[in-house]
Amino acid sequence: MTGDEIRPSRLHWWWLVGALLVLAAAVLVSVMLGAVDLGASSIVSSLLDRLPFVDLDSGLTDREEAILWDLRMPRVVLGGIVGATLAVAGGSYQGAFRNPLADPYLLGVAAGAGLGATIAIAYGPSIPSTPFGPLPLMAFIGGIAGVAATYAIGYSVRAGRTAVTLILAGVAVASFLTAVQTYLQQRNAETLREVYGWILGRLSTVGWTEVWMVLPYVVVATAVMLLGARRLDVLSVGDDEATTLGVDPTRVRLVMVLAATLGTAAVVAVSGLIGFVGIIVPHTIRIIFGSSYRIVLPLSVVLGAAFLILADLLARTVAAPAEIPIGVVTAFFGAPFFAIVLRSSRGLGS
Amino acid sequence: MTAALTLTGIGVRFGDATILDSVDLTVEPGEWVGLIGPNGAGKTTLLRTVTGAVAFDGSIQINGADTSTLKRRQLARSVALVPQQPVLPPGTRVVDYVLLGRTPHLGEVTGPSRHDLDIVAGVLDALSLSAFMNRDVTTLSGGELQRVVIARAFAQESPILLLDEPTTALDIGKQQAVLELVDRLRRQRTLTVVSAMHDLTIASQFPDRLVMLAAGQVVAEGTAAAVLRPDLIRAHYDAEVRILDDGAGGIVVVPVRSQGDTTDPDPGTVA
Repeated sequence: MTGDEIRPSRLHWWWLVGALLVLAAAVLVSVMLGAVDLGASSIVSSLLDRLPFVDLDSGLTDREEAILWDLRMPRVVLGGIVGATLAVAGGSYQGAFRNPLADPYLLGVAAGAGLGATIAIAYGPSIPSTPFGPLPLMAFIGGIAGVAATYAIGYSVRAGRTAVTLILAGVAVASFLTAVQTYLQQRNAETLREVYGWILGRLSTVGWTEVWMVLPYVVVATAVMLLGARRLDVLSVGDDEATTLGVDPTRVRLVMVLAATLGTAAVVAVSGLIGFVGIIVPHTIRIIFGSSYRIVLPLSVVLGAAFLILADLLARTVAAPAEIPIGVVTAFFGAPFFAIVLRSSRGLGS
Repeated sequence: MTAALTLTGIGVRFGDATILDSVDLTVEPGEWVGLIGPNGAGKTTLLRTVTGAVAFDGSIQINGADTSTLKRRQLARSVALVPQQPVLPPGTRVVDYVLLGRTPHLGEVTGPSRHDLDIVAGVLDALSLSAFMNRDVTTLSGGELQRVVIARAFAQESPILLLDEPTTALDIGKQQAVLELVDRLRRQRTLTVVSAMHDLTIASQFPDRLVMLAAGQVVAEGTAAAVLRPDLIRAHYDAEVRILDDGAGGIVVVPVRSQGDTTDPDPGTVA
């Protein structure tokens, strides 16, 4: 037998193309539908018109152009960024902690980031949201504090430690941090209109400002996570064996957790607490395409974006003209999914 | 000739407990050394020390180079370990698991090359695993699994192979098959082998030399006949054994009942 005859798991380009088509369809449907329905061909024309050297008449009125480009498009783009980041961060946490139940929400990262962001808004200087302002920084510090507390509590358990132990610790940490955040929010109700609705997540008030604020962090964090995918595969055989294969497990875990937390903190600072995306998307990919992180992480970026765009579409259309918080939609699908993952992961050590 | 592996004054402590205490060991290229000793003697820790997984006092040299000067990847290209209880990631196929052995040879970002795949294919052939290559590792039987873990270590192409009780979970036929395989591949590839071993009769058959550890120290070293002595085994294993000649130049270690009374107990005395 030669190397031609073996087929190691890898990301096939046609999977990636398929996932991108799903994402494109999600974007298109999502910008079409709403209080004012826009035609698909008009949207595509308007999109192409924005390219250099292309001049097309989309047939949209100025008002419809404004709805498309100032309301729906930033919301869809930000939803995609948030979903991509939460999904790839969830996959990275699962690999770094070797725990199939790990998720930015369940590890207390999102709650910590939310608390950090609340403190920045309530007590920080009132300067506009910029990438290098106090808001993302405080969200990152809060997120790191959240995951560090969860890790410390979860790993202080000696006897009977399982995958669930870490998640229980995360639930306790998240509850505590969310309680503090709610208290600060109530105390500062006047100045905190910005964080209203955070605990359930929201994308309803975003514009391009938020997109530009999170983008640098998300790009860096996602790049680091994708480059670490192969090392997560090595880590899956445990710290001792990873060491004998030439990989430093502590360093891999640290880098991946920092990157995942940076990405999570950035998106939580603009979207609030949206749970279960990091569970649903990576596990669905594992079931369909395989469990190698070189497959799971890249597809999580694309399909996580598509998933959250569609969840947001549901959130704003299912009870129109009212909006359901997007965190409610993801929990509605995510909690039963979590139960299924929990059942199949019983007895797994962490 | 430079020794393949030289351990000098190795000491390991976990908290207050001394696990290894001034262990010296030299292994020549192509030699097979068997580590024996009672549970808790430090056999596994000694192997893990060589792989860099445990902090230690003293020095370890591989082909004359001190391991403290080697990068982790360089060390992994020199030493491969077959763990006693390998961690099996669910959903991982045999071919992907064996390919993990190429990790220390891969670039930071690049995937496996054609050369890496050829090596994996060769190892799968050598261990008769081609038919299993697309199976999930968690669905394998004990004997198949042991071959898969050894395949991963061979794919690493490290000249020193460490085996931690490689046959403990196997039946007698699989034990022989696995150890014969290690011996054959050792000769083909001129590997240096250090194996922790549980079964003393089997330990007398495969390694060139035995080293007995007890309470973290080397207490005996030499040929099987020199190390497997009733007095040493009594002193360190707290066991009564007889050493028999198997009639073919080998020896057999037989446990002896301390009571020596094999008659049925009087039913009246059983509570």
